Amino acid sequence: MGNEKGYLALVLHAHLPFIKHPEYPDFLEEDWFYEAMVETYIPLLSVFEKLTDEGCDFRLTMSLTPPLCNMMEDPLLIDRFRHYLNQRVELSAKEIERTHNTEFASVAHMYYDKFRRYQDLFENRYHGHVLQGFKKFQDMGKLEIITCCATHGYLPLMVHKESVNAQIKIAAHDYRSRFGKNPRGIWLAECAYNPGDDKFLREEGIRFFFTESHGILHGTPRPKYGVYAPVYCPETGVAAFARDMESAQQVWSAESGYPGDHRYREFYRDLGYDCDYDYIKPYLHSDGVRRNIGMKYHKITGRVPLNQKQAYYPQEARDVAAQHAGNFMFNRQKQIEYLSTLLDRKPLVVSMYDAELYGHWWYEGIDFLEFLFKKIYYDQDEIKLITPMEYLQMYPENQVVQPSMSSWGDKGYHDVWLNSGNDWIYRHLIKSAERMMELANRFPNAEGLLRRALNQLARELVLMQSSDWAFLMTTGTAKEYSTKRTKDHIKRFNELYEQIIGNRIDEGYVFNLEMRDSIFQQMDYRVYSTAAKEAVLAKY
Amino acid sequence: MATNLSSASLIKPLVRDRQTEADIPSGYGKTESYLLPKDPAWMFLFWEITQSTIDYLKEQYGTALNAARTIIRLHDITGVSLFNGTNSVKYYDMPVIFEAKSWYINAPESGRAYIADLGYLTDDGRFILVTRSNATAIPPGRVSNVIDDKWMIVEGDFQKLLKLSGADYIGLGASELMQVVGQRWKLTELTPSGAPTSWSSFALHLDKVQEDEDIWLNADCEITIYGSASKNAIVTINGQEIELKDGKFTIHRHLSAGDIVDLPIHARNAKGDKTRRVDIKAVREPGK
Repeated sequence: MGNEKGYLALVLHAHLPFIKHPEYPDFLEEDWFYEAMVETYIPLLSVFEKLTDEGCDFRLTMSLTPPLCNMMEDPLLIDRFRHYLNQRVELSAKEIERTHNTEFASVAHMYYDKFRRYQDLFENRYHGHVLQGFKKFQDMGKLEIITCCATHGYLPLMVHKESVNAQIKIAAHDYRSRFGKNPRGIWLAECAYNPGDDKFLREEGIRFFFTESHGILHGTPRPKYGVYAPVYCPETGVAAFARDMESAQQVWSAESGYPGDHRYREFYRDLGYDCDYDYIKPYLHSDGVRRNIGMKYHKITGRVPLNQKQAYYPQEARDVAAQHAGNFMFNRQKQIEYLSTLLDRKPLVVSMYDAELYGHWWYEGIDFLEFLFKKIYYDQDEIKLITPMEYLQMYPENQVVQPSMSSWGDKGYHDVWLNSGNDWIYRHLIKSAERMMELANRFPNAEGLLRRALNQLARELVLMQSSDWAFLMTTGTAKEYSTKRTKDHIKRFNELYEQIIGNRIDEGYVFNLEMRDSIFQQMDYRVYSTAAKEAVLAKY
Repeated sequence: MATNLSSASLIKPLVRDRQTEADIPSGYGKTESYLLPKDPAWMFLFWEITQSTIDYLKEQYGTALNAARTIIRLHDITGVSLFNGTNSVKYYDMPVIFEAKSWYINAPESGRAYIADLGYLTDDGRFILVTRSNATAIPPGRVSNVIDDKWMIVEGDFQKLLKLSGADYIGLGASELMQVVGQRWKLTELTPSGAPTSWSSFALHLDKVQEDEDIWLNADCEITIYGSASKNAIVTINGQEIELKDGKFTIHRHLSAGDIVDLPIHARNAKGDKTRRVDIKAVREPGK
């Protein structure tokens, strides 16, 4: 332990639902992945590379969820992303000419430079496999990559513990195959914790997870250190770290948070709408409808209509990001200084965010992180960045508290994922899980086509269980798509189930689903057996 | 997943999914029910009851079923290791329409475990079980009053830590996050010990609006009045004194068709020299 007064654990949750549509030449919702790649994931890697080159040490905890890892390693999506990136490079090169001697010249140059750098990293440094980049920084000890529920399944709404066990086991298995070791931590989807589910984490060697503040504050007994130190779950000893609301609010708040600064990039004014149609058409989807293409030339400006937004100046925005990073650090210093008068140990502040907030929504969020890492490393020694494992090594003794059921969603519990707009799905999710268990128990050693069918059945189930669909139904964005995805997986599950119990498996049908819903190539349906669950519960 | 990444609509399908023609099933042909937790105050129960189950019960119990009411019997099974249908801590009956297939249940107490039975309540008070749900537990929604001897807390410091951990953000402006935080923290702000409350059983009167083949409608209504008052205050609702537990109260009241109720709530301090008053009126129109 050094002279620092306390610690800051920065946690980014990187996740997208598994979206891949080989049956279409291009597909709109696949863009979520390409946009996040070029605006968040590769830019983050670019920052890590830069900091490392400059000798600036940093610590960051990041979940890379299994669906995201599967997409990052999917040959079709890699190819399509390559095309997406090439198009951006091509367009941004044209834009340098078009904007020459206009107020947009500097922003056009910015895009060209960034896209070229990201292309260089993607192709030449990581050879199309960005996970290799993340793994590199994990191996260097700077980045702690944690896993998530297999398909971001919402554990407290799973009645059968077999489903919980499978969500954790599948995720841990996927993690090991990609990173060559056990995941030490997990981001429970939506931070949704149900007392006792930590048994399934412990079984996979997972040492810690995150909860919303009241997960620990409402824990039993009263947590001595509030949210400023982890607690251990009874019986399993898995550690729970809770979110600090003060630092969350500084970044998240729509009104007073940093991302609303008027000099930052405006999200809703996009070249896809601004440019001459024939000029921009080659960069739109095949249906030719104008949509965002991810190049934006205006700043937030103020509360004015979109057509009155002013030109964006990258250097000005970058300077603001540096100021905000300084302000964030200053506030953490003050916070930790005050907390250290109340605690008889060095306080830990856990700041958790969706990764896609940085870069995608808050374009300059990537610069903000870069400046924050540098300032914390070079400019002061009162606070230090830390990972949860490093903290646990420093303070192995922690209070034993049973965390409360909770989530980080609106109102703090399950309302977002269970309300009158989406409650119809649970009848099918739960029934399908029950049927999956029934078949896993009935066929303990299936081979050949039956085995393939059962594994695909398990894939349809986990895809159906993605909490993203219920979330999107509630927010109303992509409601049509999320409803269709849920129904498609239910239908495919039922069809396959009927084929299996009717002993009439159609190999063509199985093959078709294997191509489309290709997540978890290593899927083993036996993870759903009741014996697998009982084996875990018997231990703790 | 966080923020929506794209608000765009779906591209028209070029190839039809082999299965898209048929819709998903409305049921799975098995009588069963499941209970899910929603938050410290609510649970979600959904069920399927097959015609053969109904036929079987009619055969077994005959005319007794015709006059029987359909109810959810919610059992509090906290601390019960093996529930056998009768050994619950207590149970609560609430009217339900089987055809609804799902129901949001207002939990009488937070931080407890429940099982919901669906069944018939006959005129002579017999309960005939149709289906029993899984057990589910709901969170306490407040700070625990269990103190850890090994990790002693200085009360003042703990209150400060609670505030620092987020309580400060309540009601500070209108941003989305602040609203969210505020709503979350309302639960914490409740008195940090003890449990609610009294639960008054209510009459079971479904409002059946003239049935005919083409259109029918069943609806029922229950209102919940809850609140808190200063310590030692004497609180009355419509003149009747109610019991406060740790300063809190909850009253459930069934509203029958055509009911107009006045529920003035009065509180007076122990000395009797100060009073506060909240007026609640509710109207239920008759079915048409």
